[in-house]
Amino acid sequence: MKKLLIRIVMVLVMLVVLNWVYSKWFFEKDLRKHSDIVELSWQVVDDSCRIIYLGESSNNNYGEKEVNHRKISDFTSDYFPTIKMGDLTKKASHAQTYYYMLKHIPKSSSVETVVVTMNLRSFGPLWIYSKLETPLRKQLVLLEDRPPLVNRFLLAFKAYPIKTEEEWNEFVFEHWRNDTFNIPDFPWRTTADWDYGMYSYGWYDFHGQRDWDLTALACHYIKTYAFQIDDDNPRVKDFDAIVDLCRERGWNLVFNLMAENVDKANELVGKDLMKLFRLNRDYLLKRYGNMEGVTVVNNLSLVRDVNFIDQDWTTEHYYEEGRRIIADHLALTLRDFYPNDYQNPDSLKMDIGHYFLGGTMALDRQNPYSMTLVLTADSIRPDWDMVNVAFEIKQADGLNNAIFAVEKHDAQGEKSIDSYAVKLQVQKSGIWDFATFALPIDSTFRMAQKIKLYVHNFSESAVQIRNLDVSLRPAYLKPRVKAKSYKSDDVDSGK
Amino acid sequence: MVFNSIAFVVFLPIVVLLFYLLPHKWRWLMLLAASCVFYMWFVPKYILILLVTIVIDYAAGILMEHYADQPRKKKTYLIISIVSTLMVLMVFKYLNFITENLDQLCASLGMETHLMTHIILPIGLSFHTFQSMSYVIEVYRGHQKAERHFGYYSLYVMFFPQLVTGPIERPGNLLRQLHEKKEFRYENISKGMRLILFGFFVKMVVADHLGEYVDEVYGHLDEYNSWTVLCCMVFYSFQIYCDFFGYSTIALGSAKLMGFDITDNFKSPYLSKSIAEFWHRWHISLSTWFRDYVYIPLGGSRVKYGRWVFNILVVFVLSGIWHGAAWTFLLWGFAHGLLHVVEKTLRKALPTRGHTPLTLLGFGNALRVAKTFVLVTLFWVMFRATDFEHLKAIFVTAFTNFGGGEQMSVKPGVWIYLGLFILSDILLRNTRFDKWCDDKPLVLRWLIYAALAFMVIACSSVCNFPFIYFQF
Repeated sequence: MKKLLIRIVMVLVMLVVLNWVYSKWFFEKDLRKHSDIVELSWQVVDDSCRIIYLGESSNNNYGEKEVNHRKISDFTSDYFPTIKMGDLTKKASHAQTYYYMLKHIPKSSSVETVVVTMNLRSFGPLWIYSKLETPLRKQLVLLEDRPPLVNRFLLAFKAYPIKTEEEWNEFVFEHWRNDTFNIPDFPWRTTADWDYGMYSYGWYDFHGQRDWDLTALACHYIKTYAFQIDDDNPRVKDFDAIVDLCRERGWNLVFNLMAENVDKANELVGKDLMKLFRLNRDYLLKRYGNMEGVTVVNNLSLVRDVNFIDQDWTTEHYYEEGRRIIADHLALTLRDFYPNDYQNPDSLKMDIGHYFLGGTMALDRQNPYSMTLVLTADSIRPDWDMVNVAFEIKQADGLNNAIFAVEKHDAQGEKSIDSYAVKLQVQKSGIWDFATFALPIDSTFRMAQKIKLYVHNFSESAVQIRNLDVSLRPAYLKPRVKAKSYKSDDVDSGK
Repeated sequence: MVFNSIAFVVFLPIVVLLFYLLPHKWRWLMLLAASCVFYMWFVPKYILILLVTIVIDYAAGILMEHYADQPRKKKTYLIISIVSTLMVLMVFKYLNFITENLDQLCASLGMETHLMTHIILPIGLSFHTFQSMSYVIEVYRGHQKAERHFGYYSLYVMFFPQLVTGPIERPGNLLRQLHEKKEFRYENISKGMRLILFGFFVKMVVADHLGEYVDEVYGHLDEYNSWTVLCCMVFYSFQIYCDFFGYSTIALGSAKLMGFDITDNFKSPYLSKSIAEFWHRWHISLSTWFRDYVYIPLGGSRVKYGRWVFNILVVFVLSGIWHGAAWTFLLWGFAHGLLHVVEKTLRKALPTRGHTPLTLLGFGNALRVAKTFVLVTLFWVMFRATDFEHLKAIFVTAFTNFGGGEQMSVKPGVWIYLGLFILSDILLRNTRFDKWCDDKPLVLRWLIYAALAFMVIACSSVCNFPFIYFQF
C-alpha cells in the first residue's frame, strides 16, 4: 500500500509537470484549433473595439440576390463613426456560446459595451436540443476554468454530450409532449397537442383541397415558438451568467431581442401563438429590462414578413431593409451610452466618400481583377486624409498572391502602381477572412489625374473576394472595424 | 459505455475500489451489477437479449451435465442451446441482410417484395454469443463443469472489460478465475495501469488520427490521387489494428486491475511471414474459437486435400460473415481462406529452397513480412468498403489515378505517432507492454509513462471514433 501511495504522489507530480508543459507550448494552439470562438474574442483586443456585437446567423445572412451583404452590426456601426465596433458572429451560437466568447475577452481590452443577440427561438426545445449542440459544447470544453491539461483530458475523453440527431430529437419530443402551458383558459395543453390539432385541421387551398405545405409550415411555427420561458430555462441561466459577467467586467450590456416573423405566425397559427410571443417577450423584458446595467432592445415585431428571407421556415434571416431596421433601433439605444459619437449615417455621407463594390467575385488566371473603383482628381476632397479598404477573401490554399492595387495615372498618361500584399494579413485557407488597408492620401495621390483601385490576383489558384468596401475620409473619422465573419461553414460536424 | 469516455474513466476506479473493499462472496454481485451498468449505458433494453441467451445456455449447461450418461439427450440440449443462440444472432445480425438480398433476388425475377427489415444490431452480440457457445460446447465435451451459480455464469458472459469487443473468453480461463479469491496486489494495479495507458495511446492517438484521414479519403475518392488512396489503405491497416488492439489492451488492463488475466488477442500480427501466421497473431481468441469449434470438428488438416481445402474455406468464410452481414465481409473471409490454401499448397508443392542472395543477407523474412502485410492491407479494403461499388471505386482509384486528384497532406505528428507505434510493435513482438516494462529502469519507465500520458491527453484526436469492432 505504501508503494502505491508513493506512486500516486509520483503520478500527481508528473501531472503537474505535464500541465506546465502543455500550458506553455500546446494550449494556445489547441484553443485555436478546437475552440476557435476564442480567436474571435482575441481579435477584439487587437482591434481595440469599444463596442462588441455578439450574434449568430441573423447578423450575417443576406438574400441570394442582394448586392449589399453588410451585417446588422455594420449598419449599426455606421451610426458611430468615431467608435470602433467589432462583432463576434458565429452561426447557431446562443447565450452559452456568447458567455464563453465574452469570458475570453482579455481584461486589457477597451470594450465598454456589449450587444448580445437575444433570439427568442433559442429558448425553445427545438434549439436547446439541436444537433448542433454537440459541436458547440465540444468547443466549450477547453474554455472552462480548469487547469489546461484537465480541460484537454476532458476533451480527449469526450466530456461533452455526444448524441446522434435521433437522440437529440428525442429530448425535443419529450419536451413537446410533457411541458404543459401554464396559461389560464389556453386551449392547448402541450406543444404536441397543439401540433396535432393543427395537423388535423390544417390549411386548405381555394379548391378545398388540403394544403399540406402550408399545414406543415403552420405546424413548424407551433413547434418552434410554442413554449413558455420560465426561470428554469437553460438559456435564461446563460443570459443571467452573461449579466453577472458584464457586471464583473464593468461593461454596459444590451440584449438585442431579434425580430421574429410574427406576421406569418399570426397568419398561419393565429392569436394563441401571438399570445405566447407576447408572454415570452414580456418575461424577457421584465426580467432583464429591470436589471441594473442591462438594456433590452425589443425588435420582436419590428420586421415585416416581406423582409424575411426564409418564407418557408422559421429563421431570423433578414433582407437588407430588415437588417437596417434592427440596426437603426439598436443604434438609438447605443446613443444613450455614446451621445456625442452618434451621427446619422445619412449626414456622414457629406463627410465620407464611400464606395461599395459589389458581392462575391472569383479572381482566377482568366479573370484576375476585381471590380475597379475609378477616381478622378477632382473627386478627392481636400479634407480627406485616408483611404480605407476592407474586403473579405477566401483562398483555396495558403499560396495566395493577391494584392490590393492603387494605380495612379498622371497627366501624361504614365501610370505607377502601389501594391499591398494580401498574404501579409491572410494566411488561412478555406475560410473567409478579412483584409483591411489604411492608405494615406498623399501628394502623389492628389496629383494623379486618375486613380484606379482594385484587387489583383497573381496566384495560380483562384481566390474569392466579397464586400469590397472603399471609403475616403478625414482622419478624425475612424473607419469601422470590419466585422469578422467566421468560418463560412461555421459549425464543425463533430464526427 | 466506451473505454475512451469520461464515464469509463470514472466508472473503472469506482468498480476496482469496490471490488477490493467488498468481501469475496459479494464481489460477483458487484461485478455483475457493474457489467449491467456498462452494457446498459448503450441501449438499456438490449440487456434483455443478453438475458435470454444467458438463461438458455445456463440451463443447457446444467441439463447436459445432468444427462451426461444419455448422449442423445445431452446432444439435444446442446443443439437447442446452439440453435437458440444462433437464432438470436441470425435475427439481430443477419435478418436485415437476408431480407434485403431476398428483395433484390425477387426484383431480379420481376417480383416486387418488401421483406427488408431494419433491426438494429445490439453492441457486441457476436462476441458474447460466441462466448456463451464456447461454454455449452465445453460442458458438452466434458471439459468444463456446468456452472450452478446463475450469478457467476451471468458474470462469465457479461464481464464488462471484454463484454462488447472480446477477447472471446473460454470458461476454463475466465469462469475459473471469477471463483478465485483475488487479493489486492500492487503488481496487478501497476500492470493494469500500464496496459490501460498503452491501450489509450494506441486507440486515441494512433488509430483515431489515422481514422480522420481514412474517413476523409474513402469518403471522397473522386478528389484524391492513387498515391493518397494507397497511403490510405496502409493507414486503414494500422487504424483497424490499433483500434482493436487498443481496445483489447484496455480490456486486459481493466481486468488485470482486479487480478483477472484475460486472453491476449494480438501478437504483432503485421510481423507475420504468412497468412497462416497472421491468423495466429490476429484476433487470437476468435481464430482459436473457430479452430476448436469448427475447423477441428470438420476434420481439421487430417483429411484428404480436397476436404482440407473445404474446411479451410468454410472456416474463413464463416469468420468473414461473423464480422458483418455483408457480401464484402464474406469476400474478405474467402480471400483470406483462399490465400491460406495457396500458401500452404505452394509450400508443400515447391521443394525447399536453398539460400538466395536475399536470404543470405537476412532479407528473406523481411520480404515475407512485407508480402503478407501488402496482401492483408489489400484485403482490408474489402473489410472497409461499404459495398461492392465502393470496393471497386477504391481499387480503381488506387491503381489508375496516379496523375489526377489531390495529394493528401498528412500532419507530421501523425507520422510520428504511427512510427512510435510500429516501433513499439516490433519491441513487443513476443511480449506485452506491461511485461516489457518490468525490467526497465525506474526512470526510463516513468519517462515512458509520462510521454504516453501526455500524448493520450494532449495529442489524442478529438474526433469521435467509436471502436470499429463495436459493430460486430
